[in-house]
Amino acid sequence: MMTYIVFILSVIFVISFVGFSSKPSPIYGGLVLIVSGGVGCGIIMNFGGSFLGLMVFLIYLGGMLVVFGYTTAMATEQYPEVWVSNTTVMGVFLLGLLMEVMLVLYVLKSEEVGVVFKFSGVGDWAIYDTGDSGVFSEEIMGVAALYSYGAWVVIVTGWSLLVGVLVILEVTRGD
Amino acid sequence: MNPLIFTTILMTVLLGTMIVMMSSHWLMIWIGFEMNLLAIIPILMKKYNPRTMEASTKYFLTQATASMLLMMAIIINLMHSGQWTITKVFNPTASIIMTSALAMKLGLTPFHFWVPEVTQGISLTSGLILLTWQKLAPMSILYQISPSINLNILLTMAVLSILVGGWGGLNQTQLRKIMAYSSIAHMGWMTAVLVYNPTLTMLNMLIYIMMTLTMFMLFIHSSSTTTLSLSHTWNKTPLITTLILITLLSMGGLPPLSGFMPKWMIIQELTKNSSIILPTLMAIMALLNLYFYMRLTYSTSLTMFPSTNNMKMKWQFETKRITLLPPLIVMSSLLLPLTPMLSILD
Repeated sequence: MMTYIVFILSVIFVISFVGFSSKPSPIYGGLVLIVSGGVGCGIIMNFGGSFLGLMVFLIYLGGMLVVFGYTTAMATEQYPEVWVSNTTVMGVFLLGLLMEVMLVLYVLKSEEVGVVFKFSGVGDWAIYDTGDSGVFSEEIMGVAALYSYGAWVVIVTGWSLLVGVLVILEVTRGD
Repeated sequence: MNPLIFTTILMTVLLGTMIVMMSSHWLMIWIGFEMNLLAIIPILMKKYNPRTMEASTKYFLTQATASMLLMMAIIINLMHSGQWTITKVFNPTASIIMTSALAMKLGLTPFHFWVPEVTQGISLTSGLILLTWQKLAPMSILYQISPSINLNILLTMAVLSILVGGWGGLNQTQLRKIMAYSSIAHMGWMTAVLVYNPTLTMLNMLIYIMMTLTMFMLFIHSSSTTTLSLSHTWNKTPLITTLILITLLSMGGLPPLSGFMPKWMIIQELTKNSSIILPTLMAIMALLNLYFYMRLTYSTSLTMFPSTNNMKMKWQFETKRITLLPPLIVMSSLLLPLTPMLSILD
């Protein structure tokens, strides 16, 4: 099972995305976002990115999602929608679940899947050491490169975040 | 809106398009598109009524979907070519998905449904920015990937856009919807010649932006958003009425005005590449466009449109001074004799 851990985690990832895309109340959406964040962290860590996985938990789950949870709790309604309360929501969730199960069975059974790009069965998701990158970890080098060669990316993303806040304030301010 | 915040957000719209046009990494291009989209939402929502909010929401949803498709095409391209630089897109699937995403951003058929509704719901100035500046970024990416675009898909979308832009604008009396359908048709002309000679796409884009800027500024000057309201300009500023006539005929592509130049060049380029039926069809369908422009000129400049007597005196605040209007009018009507200068473009 450990060789296919990334595949299993990816399947749980997609299922939790289906869970909030079927639009229950935002509180329950936040709940599956926590699950998907944790699972995504697991996927990243399996590729050797322990720092980035920690970032996901700390910043994404522990910062942004907590604020989201508080604001949603302030704006919630008396009887929030859950997956089993509304026929439409449950129908969409089951449909998404069904499609994912069929895709997983297709990948497991057949030799290769050639939908948009070819990959040969579950083997493509197994993690094994490809190429020796030496004494340094690739992922920390990537973060270091972001702040040295990628300074322009940092400037652009920082500016986008600032303007995002300004835009949201403008849009919700009203007259 | 606070002037400082408004300036910041407007500059971010400009910055987003600049990042799209000057980046060589696909991810930066995607970031530029998203920055552009995010920053233009409050500009579209300058007035707070349900119509603008609905228009902004529709714009956001369609453009966000297009950005998602663009990201998917970028990742498929990465999987098959292993690099992130902007060159031609090597994989046919990625190329088709990217062309569809950029067509959604431009408003080509069959993704044109958002253009009239969004343009109608927002103010004239916001509509101006939407129909001119927002077309620059997707067109620059189409220019850069033009060697690898699937010809059949692009030409189908182009011809259908010209048809829809002409046919759909026939029953409209709202000026913003007329400009939206005119934009759809012009985008069709631009993308039709993209694979054959991308320089003419840029030429058409330039002249289209000039003419659309002129038309919108004439509308802003007379504060009119319907045909009826436009038909009262003869009483206020007869000179503007004449200029509306000239600019509209230029948009319709009549010689000797500058709107004829891109159409002439495009038809010549298409026939040089041995496709005869296609430019014939395109020229015939441009007549539909010309019909509703001429109907506007007829009701505005050539006749006194019937209205009650108390509506004939058009009341407004002091005359808006639009500094850029005279040079734009001159450029959008008198550029045709400069056509031989196009030989310097290589």
